[in-house]
Amino acid sequence: MRERLPVIGAYVLTGLLLIFILAPVAVVVLGSVLNTRWLGVSSEQWVPGAEGLVTFRWFGYVLATYGRMILFSLKLAVLSVVICIVVGVPAAYALVQHPFPGSRFVEELVLVPLSLPGITLSIALIQAYAVWRGRWWLVLCGHLLYTIPFMVRVTSGALRSFDVAELERAAQTLGARFSQRFFLVVLPSLRHAILVGSLLVFAISWGEFNVSYLLNTPLNQTYPAALYATFTFNSFQVSSAATTLFLLGVLPVLLLLQRLGGGELGGELGGELVRIEQGA
Amino acid sequence: MAEAGRRIERGAEISIARGAEMAMERGAGFRRTAAWLVLPLVVLVFALLVYPLALLSVQSLRPGAGILDARPGSGALSLSNYRLIVSDPDYRTALLHSVVLSLGVALVATLLCLPSAWLFARREFRGKRLARALFTLPMSFSGIIVGFLTIIMLGRIGVVPQLLEKLTGHDGLSGVAYRFGGLLAAYVYFEVPRATLTLESALRKFDFRLDAAARTLGAGPWQRLRFVLVPLFLPALLSTFAVTFSVSLGSFGVALILSKRFSLLPLEIFQLYTGLLNGPLAAAMALVLGATALAVNTTMRLAFEGRVSRHA
Repeated sequence: MRERLPVIGAYVLTGLLLIFILAPVAVVVLGSVLNTRWLGVSSEQWVPGAEGLVTFRWFGYVLATYGRMILFSLKLAVLSVVICIVVGVPAAYALVQHPFPGSRFVEELVLVPLSLPGITLSIALIQAYAVWRGRWWLVLCGHLLYTIPFMVRVTSGALRSFDVAELERAAQTLGARFSQRFFLVVLPSLRHAILVGSLLVFAISWGEFNVSYLLNTPLNQTYPAALYATFTFNSFQVSSAATTLFLLGVLPVLLLLQRLGGGELGGELGGELVRIEQGA
Repeated sequence: MAEAGRRIERGAEISIARGAEMAMERGAGFRRTAAWLVLPLVVLVFALLVYPLALLSVQSLRPGAGILDARPGSGALSLSNYRLIVSDPDYRTALLHSVVLSLGVALVATLLCLPSAWLFARREFRGKRLARALFTLPMSFSGIIVGFLTIIMLGRIGVVPQLLEKLTGHDGLSGVAYRFGGLLAAYVYFEVPRATLTLESALRKFDFRLDAAARTLGAGPWQRLRFVLVPLFLPALLSTFAVTFSVSLGSFGVALILSKRFSLLPLEIFQLYTGLLNGPLAAAMALVLGATALAVNTTMRLAFEGRVSRHA
């Protein structure tokens, strides 16, 4: 019994932590569809229409008001994924397979943004490129700064975990040129890592607030900044609906990551994941 | 016979030629290809990280020129902004608040997540995968969402105070979201995934046979904890502490939503920059914040790696 007590304690504490994590999310998701005027606490109780207990009208309101920002965030996220693959994967390959003097330093330097506060990087970026403030691609650059470390880290980790050099040499003795080897041997064997990296990049870009908020002009904001606007100016129901929409964007990605990563997420990748500074 | 010999000879010739070709490819030409592959990344990192940070450092040395500051900005570089951070009571308080809050968050998150991390690493139970997935959920939330959730739960008419009022007739915890306790809860909320994953990956590698050995040698639970478990696991605890500390220190979104009375450094920087337009002072503060976070993180990581290699 004395040996079992700590185990039971750990289960109880884990349960409590799960409640701590889920309760606010449940309240918000419920709040987005329930007509809280029935509770008499709604600030929207004088809005006509929607008499039932469940209403989806706030989603319509959010989509109509902030739909443009949702599209903008999606565009940024997709572009981040594409650029991270195009720039990050070849670089990771070169850094691992063909190290040169200073390649270790480059690898470390790429990771630096993860341990720097978002506000520091945002102000640095604004100061340096004040002329372009408000341009959408400057925001994209801010996102890249945060997302590329993950792509580089995940792919270089995969490259180190199996012998790509051996496979390449085999292809080479069969007469494959460099481009053939890279596209037909290296890239296919990195499929899984690139997929995991892309999902990470998408999730981070979708949720990024600091850099986007500071780099953008108020009229041209990303969806997390729209969330901030609803928290500040709109009612509980509208904010909840907006937050629920945000969750709908990121939850499938997280679940897929958990599925693909499986053990990896708890192991090596977990160690990297925890360095996500992302929006915090 | 002669035919076969010639064939072997030819084969050897071909493989020698192939080897020379490969050697050549591994040489200068190949290096150039590899360099081309890294170049875009290097350009990106320099343009977006190194250059802006260097510029920020220079900027932080210029005298402040905010709208509240009537002094004409002279061109001379000085450390006056850094002196101001330490001497101005408001900024000093914000810095102190940030450090104290982050220390508290790091301590609470590390200790709170240890049992769950142990369960995930060492035990099998039904629904483990789902539980782990749910534990990582807050990681995808921006700070502002966590701030919003905290207000919903612990704000002036939050869910918890309302429930408490129904149950006890007294709305305890009302408005705690805006005070130290609420900030602590909010920060711990988004540190749970980080702390759990770091501790879990450390516990997976942990050799529990050492503990078993101590037990067979007759060590009691307290002795095992004091002389075996804590010393061996200390590096992992410290690195978790460091990661959660430095992330909390730089966190901006939560503070933006919640920090009304309890001033925090990231928010002060934001206000200085956008409200008072004092770029140089904001730059100095941003660098102090960034340097602190980076230093804590790097020191702990290096110390951790040192410990690991010594034990390995």
